[in-house]
Amino acid sequence: MVKKLVILKGITKTYYTGRIAYQVLRGIDLEVEEGEFLAIMGVSGSGKSTLLNIIGLLDKPDYGTYILDGQEVSKLSKKELAYIRNRKIGFVFQAFHLVPWATALENVLMPLLYRGNLKKEDEERALQFLTRLGLEKRINAKPSELSGGEQQRVAIARALITKPKLLLADEPTGNLDSKSSQEVMKIFKELNKNGLTIIMVTHDPEIAKFAQRIKIIKDGIFVEE
Amino acid sequence: MKISFFQFLKDIFKELLSNKINFLFMCLALTISLIALNTIYSLGLSAKKQVLDALASVQFGKDAMLIIAGGGRIIGLTTTRTDTLKLEDVEEIKKLDFVTLASPMSRGTLEVSYKDFAEKLRVEGVFPNYTIANNWYPKIGRFINENDLKSMTKVCVLGADIPERLNTKNIIGEKIKIAGETFEVIGVLESKPSFGHFRRDESVIIPFTTAQRRVFNKDYIDAVKLLFREGTDMKMAENKIREILRKRHNLFGIAPDDFRIITPDLAISVFTKTMRTINVFLLAIALISLIISGVIIMNLMYANIEEKAPIIALRIALGASSKKIIEHYLIMSLFIAIISGIAGWILSLFLMEIISFFTPLKPIFSWWIFLLSFLFASFTGISFTLIPAIRASQIDPAILLKSL
Repeated sequence: MVKKLVILKGITKTYYTGRIAYQVLRGIDLEVEEGEFLAIMGVSGSGKSTLLNIIGLLDKPDYGTYILDGQEVSKLSKKELAYIRNRKIGFVFQAFHLVPWATALENVLMPLLYRGNLKKEDEERALQFLTRLGLEKRINAKPSELSGGEQQRVAIARALITKPKLLLADEPTGNLDSKSSQEVMKIFKELNKNGLTIIMVTHDPEIAKFAQRIKIIKDGIFVEE
Repeated sequence: MKISFFQFLKDIFKELLSNKINFLFMCLALTISLIALNTIYSLGLSAKKQVLDALASVQFGKDAMLIIAGGGRIIGLTTTRTDTLKLEDVEEIKKLDFVTLASPMSRGTLEVSYKDFAEKLRVEGVFPNYTIANNWYPKIGRFINENDLKSMTKVCVLGADIPERLNTKNIIGEKIKIAGETFEVIGVLESKPSFGHFRRDESVIIPFTTAQRRVFNKDYIDAVKLLFREGTDMKMAENKIREILRKRHNLFGIAPDDFRIITPDLAISVFTKTMRTINVFLLAIALISLIISGVIIMNLMYANIEEKAPIIALRIALGASSKKIIEHYLIMSLFIAIISGIAGWILSLFLMEIISFFTPLKPIFSWWIFLLSFLFASFTGISFTLIPAIRASQIDPAILLKSL
């Protein structure tokens, strides 16, 4: 039997703006197996980003249980969550979120910096990743000197440097042209083939097609597969 | 570990340089208040050093004591008789084993005239050992000798400023009048620093015996300067001398002293007292300006953190702990403190040079001020960055996705 990497049960999340409450997630159940490539689709305001925040341990659910890699994580402290994020999860964002003053190489190494044991080998590994993603000539470039596609590839290298179990992608092609989008999705496909579990949020059906499984979220609940 | 820390510092420094205006203003605020602090502190040290040097130059740096006739407060009018201090008292004090030299004198303010010059000046009747007791020697001519004392000659030695006042180039051998008596000028003393209102370079020195018999007509002395063996316990010396004088002057019980004992420490504290008050006041202002610069840093740090919120959120998302984020901003403020500390120190040295052009205060170099500059810069920087840094560590990483 394949191991389940992510198990969500009855996840709810409510936001308050003043006195008005928005129930963004209304009982999400989700199981993701190791090695799966899942796309979560939904229109804007459907709660998909909130769900990704919770899966990525950037936010905590109000109710429900979340078991990540066999560990109940919904009640952990901020510090413990930071630790798990650093070791088990890689993030790829729509806006890339690279540090503007750091070079491509420095950006890739950033997650290791916060582990406090950056080694010479890590730098070589980062170079390998960048080379594999076709950025060998851009290692000392600042994000502002890179194209969108290149920036996203740097961000992917940064997500992979920690050898995560789970890659979370939030509209990874949202800011890219179609050629770069195709490239990024090919990289994802490749990574998934090598065993990496990927959960991707998107509203673009073309992009979602790259995934093995698609789940649609509407008004804070999954509707159909 | 080493690479990590180096990279960590590099990242902080690059962030600091990413907003140069902000960085510049933070450094500027801190630098200006540090210049004020360092300069005021150095001026205080310089003024104090000047007093110490001046006292040392008249043989009153240490191991010396001045006894003045008449009791009362150190500065101000005497409150007892002033005619009780006698040469016999000095003879008795000389017997103490730690006393190496005693130089009694009598003094008064008398009219001194020469041609069309006439002014009231301080006239001192002294012994030949006055030169040693005060480290004060004639620059031209000679000083009073034993012969002058024996024969009660009417000769005088002038303070350095007097010849100029008398408008005479060749003063030696000239006759001047002191309280109506004619005196021959035999020497001019070298210049010495003055304290308070008393201008030392405007004194007229005559032989002790001549002064007592022919000028003042008195049998008591006004003061005696004592030199002690090196390293003498001043408290002990003061007590022994007080004991001798009180006994000889028949003062018992609560009767107040009819003399005043001035020690170098006492002189220093008297001469630096006003200075110290002003200095404390100025330092308080400098410290307030330091607080203001701290508030400016806090403000700019807040602005920086607001601006960098997505990056801070990213760092947190990538696994930076709260501690790491706080560390990040405290180290950043330490960078600012180091730069401002050095700049404030160097600029205050320049300012001291400029001030020394317009005042008698000499610039002084002290690593202690360098250290002070650093300590205050770091303390201000870190303490005022603490709140913004904690705020930064609480940024919600979820904002990274909410922007959609």
